[in-house]
Amino acid sequence: MITVEKLHKTIKKRKILSDVTFSIAEGECVGLLGPNGAGKTTLIKCMTGILQHEQGTITFNSNPIVQHKKNIGYLSQLTDFKPWMTCEESLLFFGKLSGLDKGFLKGNISAVLEEVGLKDKENYKVDQLSGGMKQRLGIAQAILHQPLLLILDEPVSALDPIGRNEVKKLISRLKKRTTIIISTHILDDASEFCDRYIIIKNGKIVGNINGEFQKSDRKQILVKTGNVPQTSEALKSSEVECVEWLSPNTFLLTGAEELDLKKVVNDFAAKEMDITSIEFYERGIKEIFLEMVSDT
Amino acid sequence: MTNFYTLTRTELVEAAKEFKFIWLTLFFVILGITQPLITKYMDVILENVGGADGITIDPNRPVPSSAEVLLSTISGQFNQIGLIILIISFMGLIAADRNSGMQDFVLTRPVSLRSYLLSKLMGNWVISMFSISIGAAVSYGYTIFLFGSFSFSNFLLFVLLYSLWILFIVSLAILISTFVKSPILIAVTTIAVSIFFILVKGFNHLLFQLSPGGILNLAENQLLSVHDLNYFSIATCLAFILLNLSWANRNLKKS
Repeated sequence: MITVEKLHKTIKKRKILSDVTFSIAEGECVGLLGPNGAGKTTLIKCMTGILQHEQGTITFNSNPIVQHKKNIGYLSQLTDFKPWMTCEESLLFFGKLSGLDKGFLKGNISAVLEEVGLKDKENYKVDQLSGGMKQRLGIAQAILHQPLLLILDEPVSALDPIGRNEVKKLISRLKKRTTIIISTHILDDASEFCDRYIIIKNGKIVGNINGEFQKSDRKQILVKTGNVPQTSEALKSSEVECVEWLSPNTFLLTGAEELDLKKVVNDFAAKEMDITSIEFYERGIKEIFLEMVSDT
Repeated sequence: MTNFYTLTRTELVEAAKEFKFIWLTLFFVILGITQPLITKYMDVILENVGGADGITIDPNRPVPSSAEVLLSTISGQFNQIGLIILIISFMGLIAADRNSGMQDFVLTRPVSLRSYLLSKLMGNWVISMFSISIGAAVSYGYTIFLFGSFSFSNFLLFVLLYSLWILFIVSLAILISTFVKSPILIAVTTIAVSIFFILVKGFNHLLFQLSPGGILNLAENQLLSVHDLNYFSIATCLAFILLNLSWANRNLKKS
């Protein structure tokens, strides 16, 4: 659906994006992850046609992205609409700019406000809305013209837990019918909806990971015990190089080579430690992300 | 065209909701009344207010002509204090949109940057000229009442030419907004650059011809009944407006 090839972008002589290449298929929900200042927002602004890039191409169904503005819905990080407009007026304004006709807009505005849970707030002025409601209104303007692709830039970062929950539920519903790109640095939220993750660091793609991916290299074992040793050092052996004490009864054992579960169980038994559970440690997106963006 | 209309209309409705049409107009009306009143009744004011000790007012001093009074109102009041307040009133014309995310929401629609910038130019120019025209009309009325008649067509021509200067100032504020994010800094820079263009036109004839400020002399000439329509000054001013908008367009596309 959308293909970004060898994209370069410089702002004020500073290289923001460098050789960015990836593609997103129809129906996917992709998380664009990266630390603050990685270039996520600049990439999104290039993808939505707000910013011009110097080199590379961005195509939507094989055509330049600027020809497909009508097919893209966008939620910016900031959602302070005109404070004097009501929710309905805001959507009417954006609908007109999208070239939607009045008849279609009238019916669709009610439906969209219902979808985002703001039906009873249609005559509320924007400055009367809470942060979560403004964010939902932001999503409403993004889906008003029924886009094929929805790009959400940090949709939950600035919200309290209640607002975050409301927006997350809404995204989960939208995921069923629209291709979505979510830019975020909150990994727990991303893992709730994303099928794939594109990790960006210093303007470069450093990872393109399937959401099902759980990496286990068998060098780490997570052990839960019934009793507690005096020191973590006591759990070391010829194979186990490092022991991290994660909680009073949970330890992460790391070996230089692949570890053998049987040997670890025998070692623990010899040290009179009761094992309640033992498994190879699987790294989730959080751990992989930290590994990829870490400078060390 | 539809987008330009929708965006311009929103600018105007916003100005109305924020009472900008009212307070800016009142401000220019006060400026427009003050100059002719002070000029006419200076001796009475000094006598009644006090603080006139040591000041001698020549009873045989020449009475200024209505043209001179109008000129001092426009050059002295509108184009100094008025201009500063005007620039402050639209210092956030792009910055506010950028800081609220509105600019991104608008530009991800099928809206061209040209429509967006032209709507800002048109909206703020209409608001400014609405206030200035009423202020100038009230000043004109007071001036002819207190100092005698003055050609209405010359006055209209003056307002028309002055509106080009205002159009240039709005375009300048738009351009500076694409370089600087802080509204205060936008206002200060726009004021400084506009003062520069007012001053530079007086240095020599070439700079006068090349400065958009030349349009001010052309406008003032209408008040002094000097019928010299210097088309070059009009063209220079229009060229600067186009240059400002093109530059702003380029800046917004790049960053």
